[in-house]
Amino acid sequence: MTGCEHVLPDIGAYVLGALEPAEEAAVREHLASCSDCAAEHASLAGLPRLLALAAPMEDDGLPAPGPAVEERVLDAIAGERRHRAPRGRRLLRPRVLVPAAAALAAVVVAVVIALGTGDERTPGFEVALQPVAGETASGRALLTSADAGIKMRLWVRGLPRDPGIVYEVQCDAPGWTASAGTFRADTDGRAYVVLNTAARRGEYDAIRIVRRKRSSSSDVLQAKL
Amino acid sequence: MAPSDVQLIQRVRADDTGEAMRALYRAYSGELFGFALHALGERGAAEELVQEVFTRAWRHAGSYDPGRGSVRTWLYQIARHAIIDARRRASVRPALPLHAPGEAEAGEAGPTIEQAMLGWQVVAALERLTPEHRQVIRLAHFQGLTMREIAERCELPVGTVKSRTWYALRSLRLVLEEMGVR
Repeated sequence: MTGCEHVLPDIGAYVLGALEPAEEAAVREHLASCSDCAAEHASLAGLPRLLALAAPMEDDGLPAPGPAVEERVLDAIAGERRHRAPRGRRLLRPRVLVPAAAALAAVVVAVVIALGTGDERTPGFEVALQPVAGETASGRALLTSADAGIKMRLWVRGLPRDPGIVYEVQCDAPGWTASAGTFRADTDGRAYVVLNTAARRGEYDAIRIVRRKRSSSSDVLQAKL
Repeated sequence: MAPSDVQLIQRVRADDTGEAMRALYRAYSGELFGFALHALGERGAAEELVQEVFTRAWRHAGSYDPGRGSVRTWLYQIARHAIIDARRRASVRPALPLHAPGEAEAGEAGPTIEQAMLGWQVVAALERLTPEHRQVIRLAHFQGLTMREIAERCELPVGTVKSRTWYALRSLRLVLEEMGVR
């Protein structure tokens, strides 16, 4: 009869059915007469049944949803939130945004990035927004190429807690600027918005977020264009 | 200090920035996706399911009761319901492909939710093994190679492959026991 020290290491392979026929017969014979090895076999014998429930393993770690799913979730929720927002609050927006006298007052956040150097295969890429001197805001933008420009998801925090302030996002290229739209911060000084700009990838090299105030009389925004 | 799951759930409804939801998503989307993948057998369907789970969690965040279980448990409950709904929808369309072999193939409904949960726990347990242990299980169980074939492929003595397989299964059993799977 084969000794335990020879059989024990074979028990794993035996359980998985990965031994040669002669080896398998030898293990089977030993297990019938050795209670210690039989106990070891019993402790592992349930594993193939569990393994059978597992999807075939890939070699590159645990499966994960694609990166776009995270944005789809946040987009879906932002959409429902807008849909369910109190009526009064929704009506307020156009009234404040319309005035042509709104003017560029201060650059809050500026970032200079080299667009077009990102990996072309990625669905979007993220850039950090750096505060200009004297400002405490921070944020990031996720840029995705859309049909006719760029879709920009923007997260900003640390803004003044004043929902009356309107911010504009601008895409700057040497000699020109494209607006990506406006937004305001919530009462915690934070904002998450999805904006679109006609500027295409590679056509601009900086994003700026500017604070617009109604009280200012000079239309600095138009001068920039 | 990072906010707790309970704080995040309590915050999501009022959080216009989406950051509380993003934090929850990043904490749990991976394992929920694995669970969904085992239940539905197809990446696209599993991704849709993950999206559905977090959207439902946002809608019903107000009904979460910390006294009745962890946020994780609550998210899994949402996922179970979403899986049942997704299967109900799928049953009126052409069948979804299914990964799980064995008992599951007997019926056309695919693995039960319990089987999907177990399957996913096994995958998560395998991920906690060393790469060497994971590799021998992958080659022997999932690819059906014998010890001798693995030894040839990996250029290792067959005795090494055998003892490695034995230790790999012992480790897997221990990890599963720690996870409460027996």
